[in-house]
Amino acid sequence: MSLSTLATAGGESFEAPAPADFWQPLIGDGAFALTRPMVLMALSFVIIAAVLLATTKRLSVVPANKKQFAVEALYGFVRNGVARDIIGSKEFLRYVPLLFTLFTLILVNNVFGVIPPIQYPTMSRIGFPIALTLVVFVLYHLIGMKRKGVGGYFKSLMPAGVPIFLVPVVYLLELFTYFISRPLTLAVRLFANMFAGHMLILVLFLGGEHLLLHGEGLLPAAGVVSYLFGLVMSFFELLIQVLQAYIFVLLTATYIAGSLADEH
Amino acid sequence: MGGSLNVIGYGLAAIGPAIAVGLVFAAYINGVARQPESRGMLQPIAILGFALAEALAILGFVLAFINPGGE
Amino acid sequence: MPAWVMAAAAEEEGGFWEEAYPVLPHPGELIAGLVFLALLYLLVAKVVVPRLEKAFEERREAIQGGVEKAERAQAEANAALQQYKAQLADARGEANRLREEARQQGAAIIAEMREQAQAEAERITTSARATIEAERVQAAAQLRAEVGRLATDLASRIVGESLQEPARQSGVVDRFLAELETSEQGVTAR
Repeated sequence: MSLSTLATAGGESFEAPAPADFWQPLIGDGAFALTRPMVLMALSFVIIAAVLLATTKRLSVVPANKKQFAVEALYGFVRNGVARDIIGSKEFLRYVPLLFTLFTLILVNNVFGVIPPIQYPTMSRIGFPIALTLVVFVLYHLIGMKRKGVGGYFKSLMPAGVPIFLVPVVYLLELFTYFISRPLTLAVRLFANMFAGHMLILVLFLGGEHLLLHGEGLLPAAGVVSYLFGLVMSFFELLIQVLQAYIFVLLTATYIAGSLADEH
Repeated sequence: MGGSLNVIGYGLAAIGPAIAVGLVFAAYINGVARQPESRGMLQPIAILGFALAEALAILGFVLAFINPGGE
Repeated sequence: MPAWVMAAAAEEEGGFWEEAYPVLPHPGELIAGLVFLALLYLLVAKVVVPRLEKAFEERREAIQGGVEKAERAQAEANAALQQYKAQLADARGEANRLREEARQQGAAIIAEMREQAQAEAERITTSARATIEAERVQAAAQLRAEVGRLATDLASRIVGESLQEPARQSGVVDRFLAELETSEQGVTAR
């Protein structure tokens, strides 16, 4: 890596951040080890539960304080901005709890990535996005099959108005979309954004530190620039983290709406 | 110089989705500029298009890790 | 269970998960994700969303109630305005009527006063006239006596002393003066 060779000139060799840095077991080391992201997940659950329960305990008709207003704004955003707009005003209320759960869980876990004492986006371990996606994947297929019957559901995957000789190809593509591409992209989008973003910040901060401590000549100045840029990228990451939470629930709502719709 | 060809490959693969994402938002901005009241309707569609275009970049990202040759 | 999980489980001293590709899900984390998602979903679906929905519903009702109240107030205000306008019109009519009445009353009073004044004037004139007449009669009577005496004096001076008694006795002078008077009266009447 160019950065490491650049820094090696200063004497010490620079270990660039690697995917292995994301493996942070606390107890044990195997497939079921207790890892740091698991603890963070539990922490996020506790935080969300505490905040939601505390703020919704006594809801007044006119929002009494900023906390209530904020929680209601968040809930109203998921309820009206995502669920009602995408799924439609008839049946959206049934799916609001799931969408709200997903949104808050992903949002808090993502934002963990830039909060100083934690600084670890839980969703950069692919196990968590896959867990969320698994639920969504099973749910939208079940909804579709319940609504149209199993045969009807598989028939409804076919878009209308396709020339007869293209039907097999298009149908295979649709199957691929529904059963492979959709869950894969849903999970990996979240994971990849968090993983890559966190890696970028790691490179900027660790590289900056290395340049500052071991660089010669003008290299410590470059380290300062690296730190500043890391700070800027942290704010950019915050934007990405919120956006990814929104995209996840938006796509979930879209998939559910697609399964509920009569025609493809 | 270290590193792997996969990373370069992924960089090349990201060009297409990058252009696609740019096109999606260009069209969105155009639409909103012409008809500001359609903003609420276009926004989820634009984000959806962005997500679909981004999916290709993500597939490339995964493939880059699935076969990290030259370790 | 996939082969890589078995391999990892077999390889207890670790290393595998540290070196594993980041796209391989760690089973423990996968399960943790599912568990916490389920827990949070239960909490949100059973407690939080019903509370929030209830608050939304109450707020919607409150807003609708507010709108209805505002409409009612508007109607009331309109009614009050109508009533006020009617009252204003009534008052205006009343004022007109009073003014008219007052004018009539004033005219009547003036007429009455004039009448009274005229009557008074009449009365004063009449009494004055009567007084003048009485004074005139009195003056005439006095004058007659005076004139009679003067004429007799004059005549007796001219004719002689003796005439005085018999003339007075016969009333010649009186007769003469009465004749004179009647002829004078006839001249003034003509």
